[in-house]
Formats: sequence, C-alpha cells, structure tokens
Amino acid sequence: MTTGLYAYALSRGLTDADVSGQPGIGGAPLRLVQLEGLVAVVSEVDLEEFGEEGLRRNLEDLRWLESVAIAHDDVARHAAGRAPTAPLRLATVFLGEESLAAQLAEWHDSAERALDRIEGRSEWSVKAYADPAVRAEPEAQQPPAEGVGAGRAYLLQRRAATQRRAASAQEDADLAQELHEVLADHATLSRRLAPQDRQLTGHTGEMILNGTYLLDDTQVDDFRQLVAELDGRHGHVRVELGGPWPPYSFSSLDAP
Amino acid sequence: MTEQPRSVARMQGPYDRTPERHQPADLADILERVLDKGIVIAGDIKVNLLDIELLTIKIRLLVASVDKAKEMGIDWWENDPMLSSRSKDRELESENQQLRERLKELEQGS
Repeated sequence: MTTGLYAYALSRGLTDADVSGQPGIGGAPLRLVQLEGLVAVVSEVDLEEFGEEGLRRNLEDLRWLESVAIAHDDVARHAAGRAPTAPLRLATVFLGEESLAAQLAEWHDSAERALDRIEGRSEWSVKAYADPAVRAEPEAQQPPAEGVGAGRAYLLQRRAATQRRAASAQEDADLAQELHEVLADHATLSRRLAPQDRQLTGHTGEMILNGTYLLDDTQVDDFRQLVAELDGRHGHVRVELGGPWPPYSFSSLDAP
Repeated sequence: MTEQPRSVARMQGPYDRTPERHQPADLADILERVLDKGIVIAGDIKVNLLDIELLTIKIRLLVASVDKAKEMGIDWWENDPMLSSRSKDRELESENQQLRERLKELEQGS
C-alpha cells in the first residue's frame, strides 16, 4: 500500500503528549511535523483512498465524506483545545515528507498570521430560523368588489397573497441582516455562510441566518446572553447558538 | 471506514463534544467548515460539491510536489484561495461553467 500524509491542522506549541491517544482517520496515530515554530498535525493515509482518483470517487459518497469529515474535525477540535490551531481543509494530502516540508515553508508566514488572529479565540455559530406558519397570515378575504367577476377576483387574491409572501420574505432578509450586524458588533470577526439545506440538517422553519463569529474568550459570556435575548425578541424567529468550533472560518491562510 | 475507538481515559478538552454529537445538523456544520464551500443537496441526500472537479484537483487537494503537479498540469498554487487572490475569479468562472453544464443536463432530462 502506498501511503500519503493527510494534514489536519497547523498549530503552535502542540506537543506529542497533547495528541497521543487521539486517533486520526482510520484510527491511524497522529504525528507532528515541526517547522520553525509551526506544527503540522498529520497521519498516514492510503493513497488508494486519498489519492486523486480515490478522492474523486469517495467525495461523492456521503458516508465516506461524513466519516472523514468527522475524523478531521475530531483532530482539529482536539488540537484547538490544547494550542492555537488553524484547521486545514478536508483532504489536504501530501505524497511525502519532502513535499509537506516544502509546503509548510511556503505557508509559514501566513500561518503565523492566522494563528495570531485566532489565539485565545474560538468560533461560534448562530442560526436564525423563521417559522413560516407564524408569519404572513393571509388576510380575511374581501368580498369581491361590485362588478368584479369570480375569476378576476380569484386572480386578484392570488396576486395579493404573492405580494404578501414577497414582503414577508423581504422582512426576514432585513431581519437576518439586522441580527447579523448586532452579533458582529459583539464579536472579533464575523462571516455569513449560506443557509443550509433542510434535507441535510432536518431543521424546521426556514434558515434566514447562518452566521459564524470569532469570539475572544472574554466575549463568550456576553455573546451567549445576547443570543438568548435575540431569541426571545421576535415571535416568529428563533435564534440558536452553536459552539465552540475550532476557528475554521477565520484561519484561512490568505486573509490579510 | 469504521467508527474510531474512543479512549475512555482521555483528558477532556474545551472543544470535546458530548456523546450525542454528530446529529445531522452537526454534520452540516462540519462539512460546511471542512469544505469551506457551499453544499448542494440534490434529491435524496447526495452531496453535490459544486466543484468536485476543482475540489479534488485544484482547490483543496494539495497533491505533493510542485514538479509532480506541473507534470499533471495542476497549478493549484495559483488556484488555491489559501495561496492566491486570483483564484476567486477562477472559482466563479468554474462554478458558472459547472452550473451551466448541470442546467444543460437537466434540460436534456438526464
């Protein structure tokens, strides 16, 4: 079997003792590769599975993707709980030590900047869901005006209903933006992600906000309170907090 | 791949989750973050990474040595958003193309 190196995360000050006992993908032991103060967390993977062809095939397989994504996240989470950690994307695979070392050298400065940015901070997710049953109650039907035929009355009603729906969708969009701005004011950095598909998450209602926020450890308590307060503020919208996450959304290596 | 055995005696870290983790919604959050790109669900829970071609070749997979990559015609160091700012246009361009192709497929009823 030809093996490659799967890189999970870049870290600072992580030690072998920190990662012993945490398995990587397929239960493989984790290894740390050091370069001038930068630590890459890696494990060996089979290139049949993680090479170009294998990945192309496997990434189409939700079960495979799920187990690898969870293993990846477990390692990122484990490292982030013990040292400043910038998780890498899924399936960052190297064919050997040399190419990994070359890439680490290239990443070094931007990785240092990313680690500076996230040290002492964690990522939190806030989602807002609108309950469509609660909003846009159809108004009582008006009796058709004098001289308006039944067909035309029906069409007028349909048009009015469509306009109401559009208006309430716009209201939700405005509300989501407003929520995000308030949350962002209480965070160090923030990003809006695309609303998630209900088929994957099984959530009820309509996700109008999928925001993610980088919080300093000192901001977490206030932020929690803020989310609870926002949750109670609008009858038809519930607001939920999730986290902490390793700082996935704020540790990309190209940010200024 | 099988579920990882969990060491019972492991020290708890602040990020360690409770055993009831990995609910479907949780998985969506993980995928969203580890892939750093939107996920499109088509029909019965098939994850359709808009850019599977790019995903494996150009954007996310950092295969090995630059020499080897050049041989294979991969220029990920120019395409990877982590490494270059020019990539954004490329991403949009390729995403557009993917979507156009997908639309054509749908129109042809395949």
